Amino acid sequence: MSNVLRPYLAAVRSTLTAALTLENFSSQVVERHNKPEVETRGSKEVLLNPLTISRNENERVLIEPSVNSIRLSIKIKQADEIERILCHQFTRFMMQRAESFIVLRRKPVSGYDISFLITNTHTETMLKHKIVDFIIQFMEEVDKEISEMKLSLNARARIVAESYLTAVSSGF
Amino acid sequence: MDINFRKIDIDVYDEDAIHESEIYEADPRDPGQVLNEAKQKQSGVRALLARNDVAGALKTVLEGAPFGPGADEAKSITLQTLLTILNSTKSTDISGAIKQLTQDDHDTLMKYLYKGMAMPGWGDISGSVLLGWHEKLTEIAGTGCIVRTMTDRRIV
Repeated sequence: MSNVLRPYLAAVRSTLTAALTLENFSSQVVERHNKPEVETRGSKEVLLNPLTISRNENERVLIEPSVNSIRLSIKIKQADEIERILCHQFTRFMMQRAESFIVLRRKPVSGYDISFLITNTHTETMLKHKIVDFIIQFMEEVDKEISEMKLSLNARARIVAESYLTAVSSGF
Repeated sequence: MDINFRKIDIDVYDEDAIHESEIYEADPRDPGQVLNEAKQKQSGVRALLARNDVAGALKTVLEGAPFGPGADEAKSITLQTLLTILNSTKSTDISGAIKQLTQDDHDTLMKYLYKGMAMPGWGDISGSVLLGWHEKLTEIAGTGCIVRTMTDRRIV
């Protein structure tokens, strides 16, 4: 892990560990319903203060805790137009397959690129520190993945342009 | 047929419904008084920083920090004052300064760190400085400090 990213991920890790103290909590409004309170936002007392961790304006994480669920939204670094498109396609690809990621949310919270919704069922059926590890690993990988895709995209564009222009030049 | 009545939130009219004022006790001080205190602290902190007393400066700012609605100006002055301390402290002095604070001060400092990170680009906020302080504070005060930041309704 690069040294500049380390304090950022450490802060996300400790905040997420603190937020992942969830318990089973039935709806206060409808009997026999049990919904993630962070999504329904039914009453104030079960929602806790949302926390933001940011490196700069373009890279931040929002953690919204509640009694039985937390929502974690990530804004991924996007330096230029290519990275913006790649990031959009990449997150879209994953969110369409959200059920295989279990904790992934189908739509990001507005202002962010990708969101996770972790409920008490997830913390009961999976190990808490493994969930935290998964999120941190995802954040590490996603930057690497996007910059790799950008490099291979540029390389491919160069080869395509070269072979196209060879055809043109040999025609004369 | 008009179906907009279905969108009315009837739960707020329930007699058991919880209101903002029941979640926490309001600040007994008058907003004007809080603002004056914040301004006084700002000059007090400058004097302490000139003498290189980081822990003393932190204590001055964090004790009786403004909270609740209606104290927005005092809050931003306090944040500004705190940022001058955070930005001017050498990274080797951070742990020593944090160790001299009480648990309540730790919690308030944590609240301000998250508040600062929630508004990047405001004033002279630098993400790496805040993250450095956050790391040291978590090392000393533990995860409990973050939990108290999440659950305390007295938002700074």
